[in-house]
Amino acid sequence: MTRTPIDTVGRPSSRAGAPAERPSAQAGAPRAGGRKRAFTTRKGFAILGFLAPAMLFVSVFIYYPMISGSQMAFRNWNLTNLTDTSWVGFKNFEAIFANPVFYTVLGNTLLWVLGSIIPQLVIGFAIALWLRRKFRFRGVYQALIFFPWAISGFLIGILFRWMFNSEFGVVNDLLAKAGLIDSPIPWLAEPGSAMTAVIIANIWYGVTFFAIMILAALQSVPDDLFEAAALDGAGKVRTLFQITIPYIRTTLALTILLRVIWIFNFPDIIWAMTGGGPANQTHIVTTWMINTTQRGDYGQASAIGLIVVGILLVFSAFYLMAIREKKDA
Amino acid sequence: MAHKKSMAGLGLGLVAALALSGCSGEASDGSVTLQMVESLTNPARTEVLDELIGQFEEENPGITVELVSPPTDQADQKIQQMLQAGEGIDVVEVRDITVGPFSTNGWLADMSAELEDWDGWANLTENAAKYATNAEGKTYYVPYGFYGLSLFYRTDLIEEAGFDAPPASWEELLEQASAIQDPSKNQFGYAFRGGTNANSNVVVAIEAYVADQIDPDNAFKLENGDTIFSAPEAADALETYFELFEKASPPSSVAWGYPEMVEGFSNGSTAFLLQDPEVIATVEQSAALKADQWTTAPLLTGPTGKAIQPMATAGWGTAESSEHKAEAAKLIAFLSEGEASTTFTEKNSLVPILKDAAESDFSKTGAWASYVTMNENPDTYITAVQPRDSSWWTEWIQKSDAEVQQVLIGQMTQQELLESWDAYWVDKWKNN
Repeated sequence: MTRTPIDTVGRPSSRAGAPAERPSAQAGAPRAGGRKRAFTTRKGFAILGFLAPAMLFVSVFIYYPMISGSQMAFRNWNLTNLTDTSWVGFKNFEAIFANPVFYTVLGNTLLWVLGSIIPQLVIGFAIALWLRRKFRFRGVYQALIFFPWAISGFLIGILFRWMFNSEFGVVNDLLAKAGLIDSPIPWLAEPGSAMTAVIIANIWYGVTFFAIMILAALQSVPDDLFEAAALDGAGKVRTLFQITIPYIRTTLALTILLRVIWIFNFPDIIWAMTGGGPANQTHIVTTWMINTTQRGDYGQASAIGLIVVGILLVFSAFYLMAIREKKDA
Repeated sequence: MAHKKSMAGLGLGLVAALALSGCSGEASDGSVTLQMVESLTNPARTEVLDELIGQFEEENPGITVELVSPPTDQADQKIQQMLQAGEGIDVVEVRDITVGPFSTNGWLADMSAELEDWDGWANLTENAAKYATNAEGKTYYVPYGFYGLSLFYRTDLIEEAGFDAPPASWEELLEQASAIQDPSKNQFGYAFRGGTNANSNVVVAIEAYVADQIDPDNAFKLENGDTIFSAPEAADALETYFELFEKASPPSSVAWGYPEMVEGFSNGSTAFLLQDPEVIATVEQSAALKADQWTTAPLLTGPTGKAIQPMATAGWGTAESSEHKAEAAKLIAFLSEGEASTTFTEKNSLVPILKDAAESDFSKTGAWASYVTMNENPDTYITAVQPRDSSWWTEWIQKSDAEVQQVLIGQMTQQELLESWDAYWVDKWKNN
């Protein structure tokens, strides 16, 4: 929607060089003239009046706690001793950057995000393509495949923790019965296998989200395009890369962005499966933050939170710019 | 994160709002409503507590008690928020690991004056009385029971392995557990604790090895003022303890915490388990083990034949902000004496706080007998107080747990671990 600058008496003003406002043919689009003056005065106040409760609610329950919580990052805010909660500047941040565990945690977070999202995208895409076809009992398959999304991440963590237990878990049992291993793998006991196990659990959990989003997008692709591609002799792979993916590119890009932010901030599975262990080797930033909170150091935990927000803001900005450049190109 | 923080803020706001709405207070007819919050919540325990509160209310018609039972994993955090809000809480469950920070922040009331004339002091065991009064003579909580360690063991498996008695020392445990270990049959010797709270058993082993030199008022200190981690015997203890992991434990026990350890013993996979008495009830319900296949033995001793019993405890305290401290103390006194205390400890499998309860048949039979043995031999099973009330205790747990795992996965040597722990406590004692 085009926004028209309004002058102090409520008339539309023209910026130097800007094209004159044209009446819009779109339903509901603002029109120039007397009606606009009425909009800015009485209707404007009415709209503000209607918005006010929501704005107040959001301010009180979202922004105030956020800002209030953020200022803890610059204070000596430790629940074990609240007799001194004075400002300490960037001391909490300095302590985090000086802690070698922070860099392990950052590396783990990167591995956690990439290791989860790439398989989720590929498998989710495959499932969506499969579910797009018409076949018997498709609805039943859809329900079964989308079911994991209805379970809490923490519960899935507990479930996988027992599944990956080397002595009693079903994973080793199946691998042994299939003749793939001679002795049980202590999945959650070694850094490499523990990270693999938590990522496997997360892939299983998150595939569904990609499948749902991509299937929804695929259903918007007109069948004519596929028919035309088939008539032109395009194979399946070519159709996928030259018709399907370009058509749903926006949905894909936004789904990936959402998932990156989500997975980055998703501690449930790791917390339930390993608690960040062994020896901090599966901690990601959010589990480490919970760990810090449990120690009572809300100042440092809040600082970690701000670092997370910073990283995600920078990532999102670059990601969105990259997508725009590609679109413009 | 921002979302989490906003939720934390929202939580605080709601707690404050609830508090301001006045859940506890004094009605116009003079009756008093006490708000009581528990921490180690579970449904069965809450039921017992509700019954006891009912009895208290019958005996004290002017007092009503409202019990708040947050889920265990969030309880301490909720209690902190409520205490910080400064209103709406009268009686609170205080744990030995929370009493430090809670009292430092001025959230707990010293109940000395209210309990000065309480008859119940005379019937408290030595341990209970010791924990009820801190070094400065203040009573921030009265323990309701103790979580002491004993060795759960499989009678049938040690017999099959050719032993005629359970292990009495750490060395014997290593010998027997190694003999029983047979991974090909999914049969393991010892339910090793490598995950959450892994440090606790390492410390127990070290304490057993330095039992002769330990400061009973601070189980992390030797009588000469050094830390127990600096003693040469501590290195011997670690060698035996980590050998137990190498030779006699399931490989995945690097990550085992409480549930896995108890499950490992209950399902018959491991022959030995070091745990609190509350586990007796769990193992009794096991479908895999018959009653004659297991029992308990006293805590393991070190080379000098002695062990240190690291008693963990929790109890009831009064919030500093409470306007009904006298009534709160009355409730705490009621729960800490007579039938109410005995019922609570028996139904929750706790080592009792009352002298006469410790002499009851209940405490002398079956798996409980080892606790009687330990109580009757205080020179062998020495009680020493761990500095669990330090305000940095949670930090210590996190640090020490991570370092135990580092040793287990080969990222740290045993010597480095001892040096790190020694340096940590020297620094804390020097600067706090």
